[in-house]
Amino acid sequence: MSYLEYSVKSTPSGLRKILYMNWPLTLLLISVASVGFLMLYSVAGGSFSPWAEPQIKRFAVGLAVMTVVALVPIWFWRNMAVVAYSISLLLLVFVELFGAVGMGAQRWIDLGFMRLQPSELMKITLVMLLAAYYDWLPGKKTSRPLWVLIPVLIILVPTGLVLKQPDLGTAILLLAAGGGLMFLAGVHWAYFAAVIAAGVGLITAVFKSRGTDWQLLKDYQFRRIDTFLDPSSDPLGAGYHITQSKIALGSGGWSGRGFMQGTQSRLNFLPEKHTDFIFTTLAEEFGFIGGFSLLSLYALIIVFCIVTALATRDRFSSLVTMGIALNFFLFFAVNMSMVMGLAPVVGVPLPMVSYGGSAMLVLMVAFGLVHSAHIHRPR
Amino acid sequence: MIRTPLRPLARILDARAKGENPDLIERENIRRRHDEMQDRARARAEGRLLVLGVFFFCAFSVVGARMGILASSEAQEPMASATGAAIATQRADIIDREGRLLATNFETHSLYAQPPLMVDPVAAAEGLARVFPDLDKERLIRDFTGKRKFIWIKKRISPEQKQAVHDIGDPGLLFGPREMRLYPNGQLAAHILGGAGFGREGVEAAEVIGVAGVEKQFDGYLRDPANGDKPLQLSLDLTVQAAMEQVLYGGMKIMNAKGASAVLMNVHTGEVVAAASLPSFDPNDRPRPPATGFDPSDSPLFNRYVQGVYELGSVFKIFAAAQAVDLGLVNSETVIDTSGPMRIGKFPIGEFNNKNYGKISVADVIVHSSNRGTGRLALQIGSERQQQFLGSLGMFDPTPFEIVEAAGGQPLKPKNWGELSTVTISYGHGLSTSPMHLAGGYAAIANGGQYVSPTILKQKGPQYGPRVMSENAAQQARMMLRKVVTSGTASFGEVPGYAVGGKTGTADKPKPRGGYYEDKVIATFSSIFPANDPKYVLVVTLDEPWIVAYGEKRRTAGWTAVPVAAELIGRVAPLLGLRPQLEPGQGAGYTLTSN
Repeated sequence: MSYLEYSVKSTPSGLRKILYMNWPLTLLLISVASVGFLMLYSVAGGSFSPWAEPQIKRFAVGLAVMTVVALVPIWFWRNMAVVAYSISLLLLVFVELFGAVGMGAQRWIDLGFMRLQPSELMKITLVMLLAAYYDWLPGKKTSRPLWVLIPVLIILVPTGLVLKQPDLGTAILLLAAGGGLMFLAGVHWAYFAAVIAAGVGLITAVFKSRGTDWQLLKDYQFRRIDTFLDPSSDPLGAGYHITQSKIALGSGGWSGRGFMQGTQSRLNFLPEKHTDFIFTTLAEEFGFIGGFSLLSLYALIIVFCIVTALATRDRFSSLVTMGIALNFFLFFAVNMSMVMGLAPVVGVPLPMVSYGGSAMLVLMVAFGLVHSAHIHRPR
Repeated sequence: MIRTPLRPLARILDARAKGENPDLIERENIRRRHDEMQDRARARAEGRLLVLGVFFFCAFSVVGARMGILASSEAQEPMASATGAAIATQRADIIDREGRLLATNFETHSLYAQPPLMVDPVAAAEGLARVFPDLDKERLIRDFTGKRKFIWIKKRISPEQKQAVHDIGDPGLLFGPREMRLYPNGQLAAHILGGAGFGREGVEAAEVIGVAGVEKQFDGYLRDPANGDKPLQLSLDLTVQAAMEQVLYGGMKIMNAKGASAVLMNVHTGEVVAAASLPSFDPNDRPRPPATGFDPSDSPLFNRYVQGVYELGSVFKIFAAAQAVDLGLVNSETVIDTSGPMRIGKFPIGEFNNKNYGKISVADVIVHSSNRGTGRLALQIGSERQQQFLGSLGMFDPTPFEIVEAAGGQPLKPKNWGELSTVTISYGHGLSTSPMHLAGGYAAIANGGQYVSPTILKQKGPQYGPRVMSENAAQQARMMLRKVVTSGTASFGEVPGYAVGGKTGTADKPKPRGGYYEDKVIATFSSIFPANDPKYVLVVTLDEPWIVAYGEKRRTAGWTAVPVAAELIGRVAPLLGLRPQLEPGQGAGYTLTSN
C-alpha cells in the first residue's frame, strides 16, 4: 500500500475534479496547439484542408481523452502500467510483422478511423512502467545491479524494435527518456558515467580506426556517418532540408516576413513542411520573436509539469510527471536542434504543432496523466 | 550511521511497567524511520531534478541562442534563392550614349533531374534524348535509375527547349531560372563590354558576374540590386561604333594586316565614342583564353588599343615640336638643320630611305617626318623637360580608361633615359605606349593644350585636366598636323569637307629576342578633325600591314593606316553630327556669283 492511497481523503471527487485540473497547463497546451493550427493553415497556402482541419478535430478529441484520463485516479494508472506496457510491446511486434509501410518504414497499424503508431504509444507506457517500477522498488535496492538490469531491459526491448522499423528518432527518444527517468529515480550516477564513457570510447574507437588496418566500419558507412553528422557536405542530397530550413530561419530574421508570407516553406523548398519541419515556417513568418515565443510556451509547460511533480509526495506521480516532461522536452529540443542544424536530421516531429494523429493523441493522454497526478495529489 | 533501535529496551520496560502495548513504540519507530528514508529519497530526487533542470536550461539557452544567430544571419543565399523574378532583372543594363541597349539580361532556364521524383525514368531519358540529340540516352537511363538524387542535365536551355521538356511531363525533370547576360549587338564593342559568366551556381539561381571589360570594371555597380533599373551609360555611340568596326575590318583585310585597332575620342570631354580592336569576338560566347605557347596578343580577346603597348614611331614627333614651341625654343617657321651625319654616342641617327632634307622649317620637319630634325629639337629641349612633358600627357602610366584591361597597358620606358633615349623617343622609338595613350596626347594638342583623360562613361561637358602646353603651341602643332595631310606623308588622309590633320608613324616591330624585323611594322595614323577646330581625335593602328602599290610592296602608314583612317573619318564624321565645310581661308580664291 502506497503512501498515496491512505492520505487522499481530501482529494476532490466526481466531476468536481475538473475544477481541480491543472488549468494553466491546459491553457498552455491549447495555445501551443493553436500555433500549430495557424502554421498548418499557412503551409496549406491559407486553407484549412488538408491539414489544419483534421488537426483541430484531433485536438478536440485529444482534449476529451485528456480529461477522461485526468478524472481516473492516478493509482489506477499505476496499476495499469504493466498491462499498458505489454500491450504497446505486443503492438510493436505486431507492426513489425503486419504493419503498413510508410516512407520506407513500417510504423503504422491501420485501425480504420486512424493510423496507430505503437512507437508513439510506447513513449508514454515506457515512462509509466518505469515510474511504477521505481514506485514499487524499495529505495535501497535502486542501485543494485540486478535491479538496474530490469529497467534497462524494459527500455532496450522496445528501443530495439523501434530501431528495426527503422525509426532512429523515436528510438533515441525512448532511450533518452528511459535513461533520464532512471537518473531521476536515483540510480547511482556511476552507472550513467560508465555508459557514457563506454559510448564515447566506442565512438572514438570507430573513428580512430578509420583509415587504419583494423577499420571497424566500411568506407561507405563512414561516408554515410559524415553526411549524417554534417549535412552541409551534401547540400543537395542529405543536407537539402537543413540548408533550406536554415535559409528560412535567416530570411525570417527577427520579426519575420509576416503571416502567410514565408516563401521558403510556401514555395515547396522544404519537404515535410507540415510535419517535422513546420518550425521553419513559424520562424520564417514570425521570425525570432515567434520562434522564441513558442520555445517559451514549451518551457512553461515543462515548468508546470515539474511544479506538479514537486507538489505530490507520491513517487509514481512525481516520476511519471517528470518522465512526461522529459519526453516532451526531448521531443521539441531534438526537433528544433534538427531544424536549426544543431543535430542530425532524425524524424522527430514538433510536439503539438506538427501534423500527425498518434503523436498528438498520445501526448494528450500523457498530459491527462499529469492532470490526474495533480488532481489526486495528497493534500 | 547511528540507528535508533526499533525497540529501545528502556522505553519497552517503561511501557510494560505502565501496562501499555510495547508494540506501539516499535510501530511508531518504524514509521519514523520510513519517513526519514522517504525524506532522504526525496532529497536525492530533488538533487537529480536540479541536475536535469540545469540541463533543460542549458538546452533552452542553446536552442534560443541558435535561433537568434540564425535570425540575425543575413543569409546571402536567401537573396539568391528567395524569388526567381527578383534576381532576373538584378544586373543593370548597359546602354550607349543615346540610350541604345548594349547589354541586358535574358531569362533562360537550367534543367536538372531528381530521379526519386520520377514517374518513368526510362521514358524521361528517351524524351530528353529526343529533345537534346547531344545527350546519351543509355547514360541518362543509367543515371535516372541509379541511386543519384540530383543530376544537372543542361545549364542553359531556350524557352522552346523548356517547353519540349515540359511536354515530356515527368515530375522529376525540373527547371531553375538561369539569368543570362545578352549582348544584342553581337560583336559590336566586344572589347569594351567584355562579357559575363556564371559565378556561384545553385538550383534556383546563378550569379552573373562580369569577367572582362566594363562588365568587370563596374561589376559592383551592375550587381547592386539598388541599381537594377539604373543602367550604366557609356560614352559609346553604337552607330559610330558599327561604322568603325566595319571600315576597320575592311581596311585590315585590304592592307593584309593581322590586326587593327582604332580609337575615336572627343578631345574636350575625353569620351571615347568608339573603339575597336580586331580580330574581335562575340561577348555572348567568349572564346577561351589562348593556351600557353601561343602569343596572347594574337588572341581575339587581346585588346590592342589599351593592352597593346607598341613603339608607335613618328606619331610622337609632334610632341617634340609642340613642346619646343611651347618652351619658346622655336616656332613653326624656325629653320632646323636636318642634314647628317648625326651620331649619339656610336649610334647613327638616319632618315627613312636615307633621305636628306637639308635645312627646313620645324613645320617641314613634321611634314617630312625627319628623324634628325626632331632629334635636334629634342636635344634642345633636354631629357628632363621631355620626360616631364610626356609624363604630363599620361604616357608613363596605364590609361585611366575604365575597363579592367586598361590597367594592363603599362607603358615601357627606357631604364636609362639618356641623350640617346631623348632623341629616339622624340621620334617614337624606345617608349612603348598604347594607342589609347596616343589618343590622349593628341587630344591635348587638339583641344588647345589641356590634358583630358580618356573615359568610357558619358560626360556632361568638357573635362579638362591641367594645362600641358600653351594655346599657341597647340595651335602651331595643329597647323603642322594639318600640313602633314595637305602636303606631307599623310596625303591620302584628305577627306572632302572635313579638314583632317594628323601624323603618320611606321615603327618596325621588335623581335622577341631583341632587334627589329625588317618587314613587319606597326603603322599608325593619329589624326584630329576638323583641323581648324578639332572635335575628335582618331588613332588607327594596323599590325603588319602591306599593300602593293605602283609595283612596290608598301608598309608605311601613309600607304596603309592613312587611307583606312580617311575612309573612317568620311564615314563617321556625319554620324557624329559634323557637317562638311570649307576650310577657312580655302574659299578665298572663289567669288560667289550669280547669273
